[in-house]
Amino acid sequence: MNNFEEKKNKALKVLSEHEDSKLLTHLNSCVHCGLCAESCMYYLTSNDERYIPAKKVDLVASIYQRYCTFTGKYFPFLGKARELDEAAAEEMTDLLYGACTLCGRCTKHCSIGVDIGFVIKKGRQMLTEMGYTPASLQSTVNAAINSGNNMSIPESELRDTLTWLEEDLRDEVNDPDASIPLNVPNADILYTLNPREPKFFPLSISAMAKIFYAAKESWSLSTQMYDVTNYAYFTSSKSEAVTIAERLYNETVNLNAKRCVLAECGHGSRAFRWEAPNYLQKQFPFETITSVELMAEYISKGRIKLDKSINKEVVTLHDPCNLVREGGVIEPQRYVLKNAASEFVEMTPHGIDNFCCGGGGGQLAMSEYNERRMKTAEIKAEQIRKTGAKVVVTPCHNCVDQLMQIDNKFKLGVQVKTLAEIVADAIILD
Amino acid sequence: MALYRIVSLIAFLICFASLAYHFLRLIRFGVPKDYSVKKGNTAAAIAYSYTGGMNPLKKESAYLHYPTYTAGILYHTGTFVSLVLFFLFLLNTGFSSSVQWALVCVLAVSAASGLGIFIKRTALNKLRYLSNPDDYVSNLLVTLFQLFTLIVLIDGAFAPYYYISASVLFLYLPLGKLKHSIYFFAARYHLGFFYGWRGIWPAGNEERTR
Repeated sequence: MNNFEEKKNKALKVLSEHEDSKLLTHLNSCVHCGLCAESCMYYLTSNDERYIPAKKVDLVASIYQRYCTFTGKYFPFLGKARELDEAAAEEMTDLLYGACTLCGRCTKHCSIGVDIGFVIKKGRQMLTEMGYTPASLQSTVNAAINSGNNMSIPESELRDTLTWLEEDLRDEVNDPDASIPLNVPNADILYTLNPREPKFFPLSISAMAKIFYAAKESWSLSTQMYDVTNYAYFTSSKSEAVTIAERLYNETVNLNAKRCVLAECGHGSRAFRWEAPNYLQKQFPFETITSVELMAEYISKGRIKLDKSINKEVVTLHDPCNLVREGGVIEPQRYVLKNAASEFVEMTPHGIDNFCCGGGGGQLAMSEYNERRMKTAEIKAEQIRKTGAKVVVTPCHNCVDQLMQIDNKFKLGVQVKTLAEIVADAIILD
Repeated sequence: MALYRIVSLIAFLICFASLAYHFLRLIRFGVPKDYSVKKGNTAAAIAYSYTGGMNPLKKESAYLHYPTYTAGILYHTGTFVSLVLFFLFLLNTGFSSSVQWALVCVLAVSAASGLGIFIKRTALNKLRYLSNPDDYVSNLLVTLFQLFTLIVLIDGAFAPYYYISASVLFLYLPLGKLKHSIYFFAARYHLGFFYGWRGIWPAGNEERTR
């Protein structure tokens, strides 16, 4: 058996392993009506038929047909059932990795109800089994596996950053006892970070620390495992996703925190809250919520007080797909913004119909598809422009990155902030 | 009973058994087991998936494509009417003239819709690119079945052709995309379960966002 045959067999195994009826269902449901095309930003910004979501489903389904169905085995011409060869694998890589952010918008609007993102992730899993994962994305996963965080930040660097952030916090709240607690056992909350925060956006850590201070919260960060992201979710490598998820699970258990609070990261919150219990095949003994929901809770319970007149400029909200359409956190961020900003305007469309910023699905990590990614951003740029807002808030550091690039490319003249930053600005300390 | 009627009945039974196999396989594979903490109401969301979630105002595949959506609804209506008539014909059920012509009108509209969908598939680059032979064959067989149902309502002399078209359709149905007659319902179930578990559906949680 040659090398490719071995890889192929591994990939085909993905299509024959059924945890339940979901895979079987979605591989047999698409009717090629093509009505999903206009729900996909890749198609909308290019008119390229290859980007129609149904085509991406077909890349996986046609291989399934060829190897797993009677019709595909004996009458392959009928459904264009396809051999899994190197050409097919390369086309799958280009379209399933390079032309999809897994935003789930096509699924929500599919005439049948095909979970297109789920099928595309199965296709990615096949490619990962074959070693076709884009090197740039795989290197992000490798960094997380090898160093404990996806940016390979050494612990000493993290501690240095947190030390000066703590000093800044003391100055800001005028309290020499204010702190950013590290590795404290039995705290009510273990707070996580997106490694982009200590690396590039430390002010969002300051903002959350100020919110915890104002709420008089019992909380801690861990220097051992704080990374909320799980890029193996994007590569669909189950073993690597398990490794990353297990570390955060173990750290929360070891520190005996009551709640694991997920930083503003769309895919990270999805990966740990919704996927990790299934990766690890167990229910978690602690509560897992997003910082977005926590901030809404603080406001509604009166644990923090805000003066929204401090944030005078018009604010709009970008809904991260994995948090909102795929994660069910729809209203809390709106509730927070209505309390933290003088004027909040919605994009059109928004909520579960919102368009992806273009940076999801691992796109920001895959530099080989940069041009395509920024082309899709035309839609988000136009959405933002139409709101007239001067500040774009988004509870996701991945989206923050992409929105800053959109601002730069399309000359929008907006500030991009996390939700914690705008809340921290509006906090009134006792 | 004429031979062509017996053949069509056997074809139907083969079709039914094949679809039952697909259905039972879905049941055997089972429903998702999710270890995460459920946030919403899956039962309500699954019900919503089959009802409010199908509201054309909620889906771009409908509200951005009203002519196609309408044609699709009419076409499927004609298919269900034709299937019911198939059994009524086997039972030698007669119709009053007004019912007969009402059915003819329904089937004329639905078959025209089916033909329209076929023309669209052949005419648009986007759809031609997506399509495979099964898409065309399925569309044609169902449209022909509706047309022959219409014709046989008008003139019983065409019964042999009608039953042959029905037989071919029934034998082909489990082989290609027409088996979405089973998988459609499973897809809506899974969609409702997914959105319901995470508290995205039902409609109370879904803001009208356009």
